[in-house]
Amino acid sequence: MTRRLWALFRKELRTLFASPIAYIVLTAFVALTGVYFFQHLLTYNRLLFVFQSEAIGAGGFDAGTVPLQVNSLNELFIPASNDFSLFLLAVLPLVTMRVFAEERAHGTDELLLTTSIRPWEVALAKHLSTYVFVFLMLAVSAIYPAAVVAKSRLGMEHLLALYMGQLGYGVAVAAIGLACSSLTQSQIVAAVLAYAIPFMILDFTWLHPVLSEGIAELLNELALQSHFDSFARGVIELRRGIYFGGIVALGFTISVGSMEFTRAR
Amino acid sequence: MGAKIEAKEVTKRFGNHVALSNLSLEIGEGEIFGIIGPNGAGKTTFLRILTGYWLPSSGDVCVDGLSVVKNRFTVQKRLGYVCEQPKLYTDHGVRTFLRMMGELRGLKGVALDEAIEQAIERFGLEEVQRRRIGVLSKGFRQRVSLAQALLHDPPLIVIDEPTVGLDPRQQIELRRMIQALGGRHTVLLSTHHLREAEVCCDRVALLDRGRLVQIATAEEVEMGGTLETLFLELTEREEEKP
Repeated sequence: MTRRLWALFRKELRTLFASPIAYIVLTAFVALTGVYFFQHLLTYNRLLFVFQSEAIGAGGFDAGTVPLQVNSLNELFIPASNDFSLFLLAVLPLVTMRVFAEERAHGTDELLLTTSIRPWEVALAKHLSTYVFVFLMLAVSAIYPAAVVAKSRLGMEHLLALYMGQLGYGVAVAAIGLACSSLTQSQIVAAVLAYAIPFMILDFTWLHPVLSEGIAELLNELALQSHFDSFARGVIELRRGIYFGGIVALGFTISVGSMEFTRAR
Repeated sequence: MGAKIEAKEVTKRFGNHVALSNLSLEIGEGEIFGIIGPNGAGKTTFLRILTGYWLPSSGDVCVDGLSVVKNRFTVQKRLGYVCEQPKLYTDHGVRTFLRMMGELRGLKGVALDEAIEQAIERFGLEEVQRRRIGVLSKGFRQRVSLAQALLHDPPLIVIDEPTVGLDPRQQIELRRMIQALGGRHTVLLSTHHLREAEVCCDRVALLDRGRLVQIATAEEVEMGGTLETLFLELTEREEEKP
Protein backbone atom coordinates (compact mmCIF):
# COMPACT_ATOMS: atom_id res chain seq x y z
CA MET A 1 0.00 0.00 0.00
CA THR A 2 1.46 3.36 -0.95
CA ARG A 3 1.95 6.07 1.66
CA ARG A 4 -0.84 8.19 0.17
CA LEU A 5 -3.25 5.29 0.03
CA TRP A 6 -2.38 4.43 3.63
CA ALA A 7 -3.05 8.05 4.67
CA LEU A 8 -6.43 7.96 2.92
CA PHE A 9 -7.26 4.57 4.43
CA ARG A 10 -6.53 5.87 7.95
CA LYS A 11 -8.63 8.96 7.26
CA GLU A 12 -11.58 6.79 6.21
CA LEU A 13 -11.34 4.63 9.34
CA ARG A 14 -11.03 7.75 11.51
CA THR A 15 -14.13 9.27 9.91
CA LEU A 16 -16.03 5.99 10.19
CA PHE A 17 -15.30 5.54 13.89
CA ALA A 18 -15.90 9.22 14.65
CA SER A 19 -19.56 8.65 13.87
CA PRO A 20 -21.91 6.89 16.31
CA ILE A 21 -23.40 4.92 13.40
CA ALA A 22 -20.37 2.60 13.34
CA TYR A 23 -20.80 1.65 17.00
CA ILE A 24 -24.57 1.31 16.75
CA VAL A 25 -24.29 -0.94 13.70
CA LEU A 26 -21.52 -3.02 15.28
CA THR A 27 -23.45 -3.49 18.52
CA ALA A 28 -26.75 -4.24 16.78
CA PHE A 29 -25.13 -6.78 14.47
CA VAL A 30 -23.24 -8.58 17.23
CA ALA A 31 -26.32 -8.66 19.45
CA LEU A 32 -28.66 -9.90 16.71
CA THR A 33 -26.30 -12.58 15.40
CA GLY A 34 -25.56 -13.74 18.96
CA VAL A 35 -29.22 -13.98 19.95
CA TYR A 36 -30.29 -15.71 16.76
CA PHE A 37 -27.38 -18.16 16.77
CA PHE A 38 -28.22 -19.20 20.32
CA GLN A 39 -31.90 -19.42 19.42
CA HIS A 40 -31.09 -21.91 16.64
CA LEU A 41 -28.71 -23.77 18.94
CA LEU A 42 -31.46 -24.00 21.55
CA THR A 43 -33.98 -25.29 18.99
CA TYR A 44 -31.46 -27.86 17.80
CA ASN A 45 -30.84 -29.02 21.39
CA ARG A 46 -34.58 -29.23 22.07
CA LEU A 47 -35.12 -31.34 18.96
CA LEU A 48 -32.35 -33.71 20.01
CA PHE A 49 -33.82 -33.87 23.50
CA VAL A 50 -37.34 -34.59 22.20
CA PHE A 51 -36.20 -37.39 19.90
CA GLN A 52 -33.95 -38.94 22.53
CA SER A 53 -36.65 -38.66 25.25
CA GLU A 54 -39.09 -40.47 22.99
CA ALA A 55 -36.48 -43.16 22.45
CA ILE A 56 -35.90 -43.47 26.21
CA GLY A 57 -39.69 -43.57 26.82
CA ALA A 58 -39.97 -46.40 24.34
CA GLY A 59 -37.64 -48.52 26.39
CA GLY A 60 -34.01 -47.48 25.76
CA PHE A 61 -31.66 -44.91 24.34
CA ASP A 62 -30.65 -45.26 20.73
CA ALA A 63 -28.86 -42.44 18.94
CA GLY A 64 -30.20 -43.80 15.66
CA THR A 65 -33.70 -42.69 16.61
CA VAL A 66 -32.84 -39.09 15.79
CA PRO A 67 -33.84 -38.56 12.13
CA LEU A 68 -30.91 -37.89 9.78
CA GLN A 69 -32.30 -34.52 8.69
CA VAL A 70 -32.11 -33.28 12.27
CA ASN A 71 -28.46 -32.33 12.30
CA SER A 72 -26.34 -29.27 13.11
CA LEU A 73 -26.16 -28.29 9.44
CA ASN A 74 -29.93 -28.15 8.86
CA GLU A 75 -30.93 -26.90 12.29
CA LEU A 76 -28.11 -24.54 13.09
CA PHE A 77 -25.69 -23.47 10.36
CA ILE A 78 -28.06 -22.98 7.41
CA PRO A 79 -30.75 -21.07 9.38
CA ALA A 80 -28.04 -19.02 11.10
CA SER A 81 -26.47 -18.18 7.73
CA ASN A 82 -29.85 -17.01 6.38
CA ASP A 83 -30.40 -14.82 9.43
CA PHE A 84 -26.89 -13.36 9.35
CA SER A 85 -27.24 -12.45 5.69
CA LEU A 86 -30.48 -10.58 6.40
CA PHE A 87 -28.87 -8.71 9.30
CA LEU A 88 -25.97 -7.72 7.06
CA LEU A 89 -28.44 -6.49 4.50
CA ALA A 90 -30.24 -4.49 7.18
CA VAL A 91 -27.22 -2.75 8.72
CA LEU A 92 -24.62 -2.34 5.95
CA PRO A 93 -26.43 0.43 4.01
CA LEU A 94 -26.31 2.50 7.21
CA VAL A 95 -22.52 2.33 7.02
CA THR A 96 -22.07 2.71 3.27
CA MET A 97 -24.60 5.50 2.67
CA ARG A 98 -22.32 8.27 3.95
CA VAL A 99 -18.98 7.14 2.53
CA PHE A 100 -19.06 8.98 -0.82
CA ALA A 101 -22.30 10.98 -0.45
CA GLU A 102 -21.17 12.86 2.64
CA GLU A 103 -17.85 13.77 1.03
CA ARG A 104 -19.68 15.16 -1.98
CA ALA A 105 -22.32 16.99 0.09
CA HIS A 106 -19.68 18.67 2.29
CA GLY A 107 -17.49 19.46 -0.71
CA THR A 108 -14.43 17.78 0.82
CA ASP A 109 -14.01 15.74 -2.36
CA GLU A 110 -12.87 19.02 -3.94
CA LEU A 111 -10.11 19.24 -1.36
CA LEU A 112 -8.98 15.66 -1.98
CA LEU A 113 -9.21 15.66 -5.76
CA THR A 114 -7.06 18.77 -6.11
CA THR A 115 -4.11 17.24 -4.23
CA SER A 116 -2.88 15.06 -7.13
CA ILE A 117 -4.59 12.04 -5.58
CA ARG A 118 -6.04 9.77 -8.26
CA PRO A 119 -9.79 9.11 -8.05
CA TRP A 120 -9.08 5.36 -7.97
CA GLU A 121 -6.92 5.86 -4.86
CA VAL A 122 -9.75 7.70 -3.11
CA ALA A 123 -12.24 4.99 -4.10
CA LEU A 124 -9.88 2.16 -3.12
CA ALA A 125 -9.30 3.62 0.36
CA LYS A 126 -13.03 4.01 0.87
CA HIS A 127 -13.80 0.48 -0.32
CA LEU A 128 -10.98 -1.13 1.69
CA SER A 129 -11.87 0.64 4.94
CA THR A 130 -15.52 -0.41 4.57
CA TYR A 131 -14.51 -4.02 3.93
CA VAL A 132 -12.31 -3.92 7.02
CA PHE A 133 -15.37 -2.78 8.97
CA VAL A 134 -17.40 -5.69 7.55
CA PHE A 135 -14.59 -8.06 8.58
CA LEU A 136 -14.55 -6.53 12.06
CA MET A 137 -18.32 -6.92 12.43
CA LEU A 138 -18.16 -10.58 11.48
CA ALA A 139 -15.05 -11.27 13.57
CA VAL A 140 -16.62 -9.82 16.73
CA SER A 141 -19.90 -11.60 16.10
CA ALA A 142 -18.05 -14.92 15.62
CA ILE A 143 -16.56 -15.06 19.11
CA TYR A 144 -19.54 -16.57 20.96
CA PRO A 145 -20.63 -19.02 18.23
CA ALA A 146 -16.99 -20.12 17.86
CA ALA A 147 -16.72 -20.76 21.59
CA VAL A 148 -19.92 -22.82 21.62
CA VAL A 149 -19.05 -24.77 18.49
CA ALA A 150 -15.53 -25.51 19.71
CA LYS A 151 -16.75 -26.67 23.11
CA SER A 152 -19.53 -28.88 21.76
CA ARG A 153 -17.57 -30.18 18.73
CA LEU A 154 -20.43 -29.29 16.38
CA GLY A 155 -18.12 -28.68 13.43
CA MET A 156 -15.76 -25.73 13.49
CA GLU A 157 -15.15 -26.15 9.74
CA HIS A 158 -18.85 -25.47 9.11
CA LEU A 159 -18.74 -22.30 11.17
CA LEU A 160 -15.59 -21.20 9.36
CA ALA A 161 -17.19 -21.83 5.97
CA LEU A 162 -20.34 -20.02 7.09
CA TYR A 163 -18.33 -16.95 8.07
CA MET A 164 -16.30 -17.06 4.86
CA GLY A 165 -19.56 -17.00 2.94
CA GLN A 166 -20.85 -14.16 5.08
CA LEU A 167 -17.65 -12.21 4.50
CA GLY A 168 -17.92 -12.60 0.72
CA TYR A 169 -21.59 -11.71 0.84
CA GLY A 170 -21.06 -8.78 3.23
CA VAL A 171 -18.28 -7.33 1.10
CA ALA A 172 -20.44 -7.67 -2.03
CA VAL A 173 -23.40 -5.93 -0.33
CA ALA A 174 -21.04 -3.21 0.92
CA ALA A 175 -19.64 -2.74 -2.62
CA ILE A 176 -23.19 -2.25 -3.93
CA GLY A 177 -23.85 0.28 -1.13
CA LEU A 178 -20.64 2.16 -1.89
CA ALA A 179 -21.46 2.31 -5.58
CA CYS A 180 -24.89 3.76 -4.69
CA SER A 181 -23.29 6.28 -2.33
CA SER A 182 -20.92 7.43 -5.09
CA LEU A 183 -23.84 8.26 -7.39
CA THR A 184 -25.50 10.85 -5.18
CA GLN A 185 -24.83 13.43 -2.50
CA SER A 186 -27.96 12.49 -0.59
CA GLN A 187 -27.33 9.88 2.09
CA ILE A 188 -31.05 8.99 2.12
CA VAL A 189 -31.05 8.23 -1.61
CA ALA A 190 -27.82 6.23 -1.18
CA ALA A 191 -29.37 4.19 1.64
CA VAL A 192 -32.61 3.52 -0.24
CA LEU A 193 -30.67 2.29 -3.29
CA ALA A 194 -28.35 0.23 -1.10
CA TYR A 195 -31.36 -1.52 0.44
CA ALA A 196 -33.29 -1.92 -2.82
CA ILE A 197 -30.60 -3.37 -5.09
CA PRO A 198 -29.38 -6.25 -2.87
CA PHE A 199 -33.00 -7.13 -2.02
CA MET A 200 -33.80 -7.24 -5.74
CA ILE A 201 -30.96 -9.62 -6.53
CA LEU A 202 -31.13 -11.62 -3.31
CA ASP A 203 -33.31 -14.40 -4.63
CA PHE A 204 -35.12 -15.05 -7.92
CA THR A 205 -36.81 -18.34 -7.01
CA TRP A 206 -40.20 -16.59 -6.78
CA LEU A 207 -39.90 -15.88 -10.51
CA HIS A 208 -39.21 -19.51 -11.47
CA PRO A 209 -42.86 -20.49 -12.15
CA VAL A 210 -43.13 -17.93 -14.96
CA LEU A 211 -39.65 -18.45 -16.48
CA SER A 212 -38.16 -21.06 -18.73
CA GLU A 213 -35.73 -23.45 -17.09
CA GLY A 214 -32.66 -21.92 -18.75
CA ILE A 215 -33.45 -18.36 -17.67
CA ALA A 216 -34.42 -19.51 -14.18
CA GLU A 217 -31.05 -21.25 -13.88
CA LEU A 218 -29.21 -18.17 -15.12
CA LEU A 219 -31.06 -15.92 -12.65
CA ASN A 220 -30.27 -18.39 -9.91
CA GLU A 221 -26.57 -17.98 -10.71
CA LEU A 222 -26.97 -14.20 -10.39
CA ALA A 223 -28.82 -14.34 -7.07
CA LEU A 224 -26.87 -13.52 -3.92
CA GLN A 225 -28.69 -16.19 -1.90
CA SER A 226 -27.56 -19.12 -4.02
CA HIS A 227 -23.92 -18.15 -3.51
CA PHE A 228 -23.82 -17.94 0.26
CA ASP A 229 -26.04 -21.01 0.70
CA SER A 230 -23.24 -23.32 -0.36
CA PHE A 231 -20.87 -21.83 2.25
CA ALA A 232 -23.42 -22.56 4.97
CA ARG A 233 -23.34 -26.20 3.85
CA GLY A 234 -19.60 -26.17 4.37
CA VAL A 235 -18.79 -26.16 0.64
CA ILE A 236 -16.20 -23.58 -0.42
CA GLU A 237 -16.15 -23.09 -4.19
CA LEU A 238 -13.97 -20.82 -6.29
CA ARG A 239 -16.87 -19.71 -8.49
CA ARG A 240 -18.63 -18.29 -5.42
CA GLY A 241 -15.55 -16.21 -4.70
CA ILE A 242 -15.44 -15.07 -8.33
CA TYR A 243 -19.11 -14.03 -8.11
CA PHE A 244 -18.56 -11.91 -4.99
CA GLY A 245 -15.30 -10.56 -6.47
CA GLY A 246 -17.17 -9.58 -9.63
CA ILE A 247 -19.71 -7.53 -7.63
CA VAL A 248 -16.86 -5.84 -5.73
CA ALA A 249 -15.06 -5.00 -9.00
CA LEU A 250 -18.26 -3.59 -10.49
CA GLY A 251 -18.95 -1.50 -7.37
CA PHE A 252 -15.41 -0.15 -7.40
CA THR A 253 -15.57 0.69 -11.11
CA ILE A 254 -18.85 2.58 -10.63
CA SER A 255 -17.33 4.54 -7.71
CA VAL A 256 -14.28 5.61 -9.75
CA GLY A 257 -16.42 6.31 -12.82
CA SER A 258 -18.80 8.56 -10.90
CA MET A 259 -15.88 10.68 -9.65
CA GLU A 260 -14.49 11.03 -13.16
CA PHE A 261 -17.97 11.85 -14.45
CA THR A 262 -18.30 14.68 -11.92
CA ARG A 263 -15.08 16.15 -13.26
CA ALA A 264 -16.18 16.03 -16.88
CA ARG A 265 -19.84 16.99 -16.46
CA MET B 1 9.43 32.36 -7.36
CA GLY B 2 5.87 31.39 -8.11
CA ALA B 3 4.27 29.89 -11.18
CA LYS B 4 3.20 31.34 -14.50
CA ILE B 5 -0.40 30.79 -15.52
CA GLU B 6 -1.83 31.04 -18.98
CA ALA B 7 -5.52 30.53 -19.69
CA LYS B 8 -6.39 30.01 -23.34
CA GLU B 9 -9.98 30.55 -24.45
CA VAL B 10 -11.43 28.60 -21.57
CA THR B 11 -15.12 27.82 -21.87
CA LYS B 12 -17.28 25.82 -19.49
CA ARG B 13 -20.84 24.87 -20.26
CA PHE B 14 -23.37 23.11 -18.05
CA GLY B 15 -26.03 22.02 -20.53
CA ASN B 16 -27.20 25.24 -22.20
CA HIS B 17 -25.77 27.46 -19.50
CA VAL B 18 -22.38 29.00 -20.26
CA ALA B 19 -20.58 29.49 -16.95
CA LEU B 20 -17.33 30.68 -18.53
CA SER B 21 -16.92 32.00 -22.04
CA ASN B 22 -13.60 32.16 -23.93
CA LEU B 23 -11.59 33.35 -20.95
CA SER B 24 -7.97 34.15 -21.80
CA LEU B 25 -5.50 35.70 -19.38
CA GLU B 26 -1.90 35.48 -18.24
CA ILE B 27 -0.59 35.73 -14.71
CA GLY B 28 3.08 36.29 -13.99
CA GLU B 29 5.36 34.60 -11.47
CA GLY B 30 4.98 35.88 -7.92
CA GLU B 31 1.99 38.02 -8.76
CA ILE B 32 -1.08 38.34 -6.54
CA PHE B 33 -3.86 38.28 -9.08
CA GLY B 34 -7.46 38.94 -8.15
CA ILE B 35 -10.56 37.71 -9.89
CA ILE B 36 -13.58 39.78 -9.00
CA GLY B 37 -17.13 39.75 -10.12
CA PRO B 38 -20.69 39.37 -8.89
CA ASN B 39 -22.15 36.01 -7.89
CA GLY B 40 -22.38 33.69 -10.88
CA ALA B 41 -19.64 35.54 -12.78
CA GLY B 42 -17.63 32.33 -13.25
CA LYS B 43 -14.89 32.94 -10.67
CA THR B 44 -15.18 29.58 -8.87
CA THR B 45 -15.68 27.80 -12.19
CA PHE B 46 -12.36 29.14 -13.44
CA LEU B 47 -10.58 28.14 -10.23
CA ARG B 48 -12.04 24.64 -10.37
CA ILE B 49 -10.77 24.26 -13.92
CA LEU B 50 -7.34 25.60 -12.99
CA THR B 51 -7.06 23.17 -10.07
CA GLY B 52 -8.06 20.21 -12.25
CA TYR B 53 -11.27 19.55 -10.33
CA TRP B 54 -13.34 20.22 -13.45
CA LEU B 55 -12.52 19.77 -17.11
CA PRO B 56 -13.14 22.77 -19.38
CA SER B 57 -15.66 22.29 -22.21
CA SER B 58 -13.03 23.81 -24.49
CA GLY B 59 -9.76 25.68 -24.14
CA ASP B 60 -7.01 24.97 -21.62
CA VAL B 61 -5.09 26.42 -18.70
CA CYS B 62 -1.32 25.98 -18.47
CA VAL B 63 0.72 26.27 -15.28
CA ASP B 64 4.41 26.76 -16.09
CA GLY B 65 3.62 25.49 -19.58
CA LEU B 66 1.90 22.32 -18.33
CA SER B 67 -1.66 21.78 -19.50
CA VAL B 68 -4.09 21.13 -16.68
CA VAL B 69 -6.18 19.02 -19.06
CA LYS B 70 -3.32 16.75 -20.12
CA ASN B 71 -1.14 16.84 -17.00
CA ARG B 72 -3.67 17.26 -14.24
CA PHE B 73 -1.72 15.45 -11.51
CA THR B 74 1.60 17.17 -12.28
CA VAL B 75 -0.10 20.57 -12.20
CA GLN B 76 -1.85 19.71 -8.94
CA LYS B 77 1.51 18.99 -7.30
CA ARG B 78 2.44 22.62 -8.01
CA LEU B 79 -0.57 24.19 -6.36
CA GLY B 80 -2.27 24.60 -3.02
CA TYR B 81 -6.01 25.19 -3.02
CA VAL B 82 -8.11 26.98 -0.43
CA CYS B 83 -11.73 26.19 -1.26
CA GLU B 84 -14.62 28.57 -0.77
CA GLN B 85 -16.06 28.13 2.76
CA PRO B 86 -13.18 25.99 4.11
CA LYS B 87 -13.96 22.40 3.24
CA LEU B 88 -12.21 20.46 5.95
CA TYR B 89 -12.67 17.18 7.80
CA THR B 90 -14.38 18.45 10.93
CA ASP B 91 -13.90 15.17 12.81
CA HIS B 92 -10.10 15.47 12.49
CA GLY B 93 -7.81 17.28 14.89
CA VAL B 94 -5.83 20.19 13.35
CA ARG B 95 -2.49 18.37 13.56
CA THR B 96 -3.92 15.06 12.31
CA PHE B 97 -5.53 16.85 9.39
CA LEU B 98 -2.34 18.68 8.44
CA ARG B 99 -0.37 15.41 8.67
CA MET B 100 -2.84 13.68 6.39
CA MET B 101 -2.80 16.51 3.84
CA GLY B 102 1.00 16.54 3.91
CA GLU B 103 1.13 12.79 3.30
CA LEU B 104 -1.36 13.10 0.44
CA ARG B 105 0.96 15.69 -1.08
CA GLY B 106 3.92 13.33 -0.89
CA LEU B 107 5.67 14.72 2.19
CA LYS B 108 7.17 12.27 4.67
CA GLY B 109 9.50 11.91 7.63
CA VAL B 110 11.36 14.96 8.90
CA ALA B 111 10.21 17.10 5.96
CA LEU B 112 6.58 16.44 6.89
CA ASP B 113 7.16 17.17 10.59
CA GLU B 114 8.94 20.42 9.73
CA ALA B 115 6.26 21.48 7.27
CA ILE B 116 3.55 20.94 9.91
CA GLU B 117 5.48 22.89 12.56
CA GLN B 118 6.12 25.76 10.13
CA ALA B 119 2.49 25.89 9.03
CA ILE B 120 1.25 25.91 12.62
CA GLU B 121 3.62 28.73 13.53
CA ARG B 122 3.06 30.74 10.34
CA PHE B 123 -0.72 30.75 10.68
CA GLY B 124 -0.89 31.08 14.47
CA LEU B 125 -2.45 27.68 15.09
CA GLU B 126 -0.45 26.81 18.22
CA GLU B 127 -3.35 27.20 20.64
CA VAL B 128 -5.76 25.07 18.56
CA GLN B 129 -3.38 22.47 17.16
CA ARG B 130 -4.79 19.65 19.35
CA ARG B 131 -8.43 20.64 18.88
CA ARG B 132 -10.96 19.09 16.55
CA ILE B 133 -11.55 21.23 13.45
CA GLY B 134 -15.32 21.03 14.00
CA VAL B 135 -15.10 23.13 17.17
CA LEU B 136 -12.93 25.90 15.67
CA SER B 137 -14.16 29.38 14.74
CA LYS B 138 -14.48 30.29 11.05
CA GLY B 139 -11.33 32.36 11.29
CA PHE B 140 -9.26 29.45 12.57
CA ARG B 141 -10.78 27.09 10.03
CA GLN B 142 -9.72 29.47 7.27
CA ARG B 143 -6.20 29.52 8.70
CA VAL B 144 -6.13 25.70 8.78
CA SER B 145 -7.27 25.74 5.17
CA LEU B 146 -4.45 28.11 4.22
CA ALA B 147 -1.96 26.04 6.23
CA GLN B 148 -2.84 22.81 4.39
CA ALA B 149 -2.53 24.57 1.03
CA LEU B 150 1.01 25.75 1.84
CA LEU B 151 2.38 22.57 3.46
CA HIS B 152 4.30 21.46 0.37
CA ASP B 153 5.41 25.03 -0.42
CA PRO B 154 3.77 25.11 -3.88
CA PRO B 155 4.59 27.86 -6.38
CA LEU B 156 0.87 28.54 -6.95
CA ILE B 157 -1.77 29.24 -4.29
CA VAL B 158 -5.40 29.36 -5.38
CA ILE B 159 -7.76 30.98 -2.89
CA ASP B 160 -11.51 31.13 -3.34
CA GLU B 161 -13.51 33.72 -1.35
CA PRO B 162 -11.31 33.56 1.74
CA THR B 163 -13.04 36.12 3.95
CA VAL B 164 -16.67 35.05 3.59
CA GLY B 165 -18.26 34.85 7.04
CA LEU B 166 -15.26 36.29 8.90
CA ASP B 167 -15.51 39.24 11.27
CA PRO B 168 -13.62 42.46 10.32
CA ARG B 169 -10.58 41.67 12.49
CA GLN B 170 -10.28 38.17 11.02
CA GLN B 171 -10.65 39.63 7.52
CA ILE B 172 -7.79 42.07 8.12
CA GLU B 173 -5.56 39.30 9.54
CA LEU B 174 -6.27 37.00 6.64
CA ARG B 175 -5.59 39.73 4.07
CA ARG B 176 -2.22 40.33 5.69
CA MET B 177 -1.44 36.63 5.45
CA ILE B 178 -2.37 36.62 1.76
CA GLN B 179 -0.29 39.73 1.07
CA ALA B 180 2.70 38.05 2.70
CA LEU B 181 2.47 35.18 0.21
CA GLY B 182 3.16 37.36 -2.86
CA GLY B 183 6.57 37.27 -4.49
CA ARG B 184 7.50 33.79 -3.28
CA HIS B 185 4.22 32.31 -4.55
CA THR B 186 1.85 33.23 -7.32
CA VAL B 187 -1.50 33.85 -5.68
CA LEU B 188 -4.79 33.66 -7.51
CA LEU B 189 -7.47 35.19 -5.33
CA SER B 190 -11.14 35.04 -6.17
CA THR B 191 -13.38 37.39 -4.27
CA HIS B 192 -16.44 39.56 -4.54
CA HIS B 193 -15.10 41.87 -1.83
CA LEU B 194 -13.69 44.74 -3.87
CA ARG B 195 -11.78 46.14 -0.91
CA GLU B 196 -10.01 42.82 -0.51
CA ALA B 197 -8.88 42.80 -4.13
CA GLU B 198 -7.82 46.43 -3.91
CA VAL B 199 -5.70 45.83 -0.82
CA CYS B 200 -4.12 42.51 -1.74
CA CYS B 201 -3.76 42.29 -5.51
CA ASP B 202 -1.21 43.52 -8.04
CA ARG B 203 -3.76 43.13 -10.83
CA VAL B 204 -7.43 42.25 -10.97
CA ALA B 205 -9.58 40.66 -13.65
CA LEU B 206 -13.22 41.59 -13.67
CA LEU B 207 -15.58 38.78 -14.71
CA ASP B 208 -19.24 39.23 -15.43
CA ARG B 209 -21.62 36.48 -16.54
CA GLY B 210 -18.76 34.22 -17.55
CA ARG B 211 -16.90 36.82 -19.61
CA LEU B 212 -13.70 38.70 -18.92
CA VAL B 213 -14.63 42.39 -18.88
CA GLN B 214 -11.28 43.96 -18.05
CA ILE B 215 -7.92 43.41 -16.43
CA ALA B 216 -6.67 46.36 -14.40
CA THR B 217 -3.46 47.01 -12.47
CA ALA B 218 -3.47 48.55 -8.99
CA GLU B 219 -2.29 51.86 -10.52
CA GLU B 220 -5.10 51.90 -13.07
CA VAL B 221 -7.61 51.29 -10.32
CA GLU B 222 -6.13 54.13 -8.28
CA MET B 223 -6.26 56.52 -11.28
CA GLY B 224 -9.92 55.71 -11.87
CA GLY B 225 -10.82 56.36 -8.24
CA THR B 226 -11.62 53.09 -6.51
CA LEU B 227 -12.19 49.54 -7.67
CA GLU B 228 -15.80 50.02 -6.67
CA THR B 229 -16.21 52.86 -9.17
CA LEU B 230 -14.54 50.82 -11.90
CA PHE B 231 -16.60 47.74 -11.07
CA LEU B 232 -19.92 49.60 -11.23
CA GLU B 233 -18.93 51.38 -14.42
CA LEU B 234 -17.89 48.18 -16.19
CA THR B 235 -20.76 45.97 -15.03
CA GLU B 236 -23.31 48.67 -15.97
CA ARG B 237 -21.71 48.91 -19.41
CA GLU B 238 -22.00 45.11 -19.72
CA GLU B 239 -25.66 45.20 -18.71
CA GLU B 240 -26.41 47.72 -21.44
CA LYS B 241 -25.08 45.32 -24.09
CA PRO B 242 -27.82 43.36 -25.87
